[in-house]
Amino acid sequence: MIYIISVDLRNPKPIYEQVRDEIKNLIIRGVLEPDEKIPSVREMAQNLAINPNTIQKAYRDLEAQGFVYQVPGKGTFVQSRAPGQNPGKTEQLIAEITDRVRELIYLGVSKEEIKQVLEDL
Amino acid sequence: MIKVRGLSKSFGDFQALRDVNINVPKSSVYGIVGPNGSGKTTLIKNIVGILIPDQGSITIGDIPVFDNPILKESIAYIPDDIYFFPQADLADMISFYRQVYPSFNDERLQKLIPIFPLDHHSPLRRFSRGMKKHAAFMLALCIMPRVLVLDEPMDGLDPVARRKVWSLVFQDVAERQTTVFISSHNLRELEDVCDCVGIMHKGEVVLERNLDELQNNIFKLQLAFRQDVPDLSHLTVLSQNQVGSVVHLVVRGEKEQIINQAAQLDSMMIDVLPLSLEEIFIHELGGMDYGISSTDI
Repeated sequence: MIYIISVDLRNPKPIYEQVRDEIKNLIIRGVLEPDEKIPSVREMAQNLAINPNTIQKAYRDLEAQGFVYQVPGKGTFVQSRAPGQNPGKTEQLIAEITDRVRELIYLGVSKEEIKQVLEDL
Repeated sequence: MIKVRGLSKSFGDFQALRDVNINVPKSSVYGIVGPNGSGKTTLIKNIVGILIPDQGSITIGDIPVFDNPILKESIAYIPDDIYFFPQADLADMISFYRQVYPSFNDERLQKLIPIFPLDHHSPLRRFSRGMKKHAAFMLALCIMPRVLVLDEPMDGLDPVARRKVWSLVFQDVAERQTTVFISSHNLRELEDVCDCVGIMHKGEVVLERNLDELQNNIFKLQLAFRQDVPDLSHLTVLSQNQVGSVVHLVVRGEKEQIINQAAQLDSMMIDVLPLSLEEIFIHELGGMDYGISSTDI
């Protein structure tokens, strides 16, 4: 699992955001399954050579956003998916998609092609 | 873990440190950064008890450092110019450390030997700078330090070695809550590894903050206006610069807040970007003569 996550130190995006978002991505895409254990803070720190406090921060964010849960003494695990959980986030993401779709239309992509992208998911 | 209060230190007429206050939380990685001559090494030497403060106090775990051998048994210090006994080879130094540090751990030594492949029977004075550093790190980690003090830690290490060393140090931070105090002039490196930074200038600590607070409080904002640039006074603008129709701003505030403030303007685009530690440094020290202003040669 470790090798699926990589951190780009030259990217201005803060390291803890990169770690958080990559794990989130793996969870959203189903690569990491509900109740699967994700590597410990120590393992991540060792393998990626990143400050464990930074990783801890990423894990805390993931927990606050409902993507993982921590079991004291055991580790951190992927949360099972519950639909309709976060309306504010949903709204934000829809706004982002709308922006992107607008850009696609501006670039001459037809609505049919765009709909096909949705179908293929 | 490490508390420095009101530390002042002079050498003859020269005041190297002036009323320095530092707070290093346990199991944090604290970076002290500043230009050459700002007092970083003097501060470090006071922290590890090599120098006596003229004024002020230094405690580690609330215990004063100076002349305290028991406390020093749990502090590993790697100076910028590494010293080994003149005729010693690595085997000699290992033997010495084993005698002096009660917490010297042979199991760890065995684990580290393959990671730092070094000839244990060749005089250390013959090693290259980088290899001497490898030896120093090996010895430092073997004593299972509670506190690791590193002056310019990565100077002289190749990228592979750097990663190896950080990986080991971070494991200790994660597993044993080791506290790490680093001094560096390399902001690029510090911003990758530190939780907190302190900025020194001419013997004083001018700023001390958690890295993420520093980073979450200042952003680059790029806007574009069809016509004249409107009134931007509802933003806390630290610098402003225009290229064509694009206005480049450095603004203080949190990201969400800035986006909301920018949304009130009729801008064709809104881009909010983080600053590098170097850029933050420049803006925070803006008023001081840090010597960043361009110099004509």
